[in-house]
Amino acid sequence: MIVCVAVVGHQNNPLYIQSFTEADDALKLHHIVHCSLDVIDERVNNPKKSGPLLNETFLGLLYPTENYKVYGYLTNTKVKFILVTTDLDVKDADVRNFFRRFHAAYGDAVSNPFHVPGKKITSRTFAESVSTIVKAFGLSSAG
Amino acid sequence: MKIKQYSNVLDKPLSKGKQEVSLSAFSFLFSELVQYNQTQVDNIAELERRLEDAGYSIGARVLELLCHREKGNRRETRLLGILSFVHSTVWKVLFGKVADSLEKGTENEDEYMISEKELLVNRFISIPKDMGTFNCGAFVAGIVRGVLDSAGFPAVVTAHFVPVEGQQRPRTTILIKFAEEVSIQLLTRFMLYLGEKQDWVEFLAHSCVTFLNLDSIHMVMMENLAAAK
Repeated sequence: MIVCVAVVGHQNNPLYIQSFTEADDALKLHHIVHCSLDVIDERVNNPKKSGPLLNETFLGLLYPTENYKVYGYLTNTKVKFILVTTDLDVKDADVRNFFRRFHAAYGDAVSNPFHVPGKKITSRTFAESVSTIVKAFGLSSAG
Repeated sequence: MKIKQYSNVLDKPLSKGKQEVSLSAFSFLFSELVQYNQTQVDNIAELERRLEDAGYSIGARVLELLCHREKGNRRETRLLGILSFVHSTVWKVLFGKVADSLEKGTENEDEYMISEKELLVNRFISIPKDMGTFNCGAFVAGIVRGVLDSAGFPAVVTAHFVPVEGQQRPRTTILIKFAEEVSIQLLTRFMLYLGEKQDWVEFLAHSCVTFLNLDSIHMVMMENLAAAK
């Protein structure tokens, strides 16, 4: 079950944070997303020889914490997508697929001429397409 | 292999649609853009800056879209990579063909030029004599600057006319001059790649400095190396 998705700009400023649980722990999710930013920076600046290629966009599982797993994705403009999920048996291909569709929705939102780059994304269409993608992810991994 | 025939035209699957816009529609829109900006400014430099700013926001968005559609999963981290990306992919999506040529400047290390025989945006525009060296290609220069800036390679991009003998209209050249930090990034990356040993890297740093003779670059390079260790 996906708990939260977040879009963070290239200066680590949050552009869009949306949580999908009924519980009221938005602050904890913000904190988790913030910590994962450090992991991303570390991955990008110190490439391990055996790790992913330096210019790969999907960063994979960033770090597991208590009952959450955090996945990261880095676009060409240094914009980061963070996915927090509570599923225990998430397939890599599912997450990649999720990020691909998320990137498409993000591209559409940014192409809006009234969107100022660096400001929060306020488009309702983007919010709706994100919830559609999240629901589809939940169905495909449960089936 | 049997091709499926659709008896009813409503049953045909929707095509993705042509990814093209008519040239006349774009030229009209662009001429209106230039005219609108002309009424708002007093001098030519301001007009060029406005056109460039318009192109900059386009460039940032084009980069985001293209990386998702065309390049799949790769992010450009090399200078030549991003330049050839601009030269072929971006040009192909925007203008329908790759740019005519990509050259490296001879005087400076951080200057590159993309030339085009006839820039699409200039095709139906002729500059009056009293406008001097104004070039509507500033719009395209802004697009290139937007792409490079969003990818992490800050640069100053300008458009120039270069007269060619044997042709009536001069060739247009987009001149890209990378900021100092880009060359520093390249140098440090290159040195880190060359040697893991500390003394080898420092020896290279010192030799580069004596060759280039620039103290500011030296300081920033030392900082970068210390941070990377």
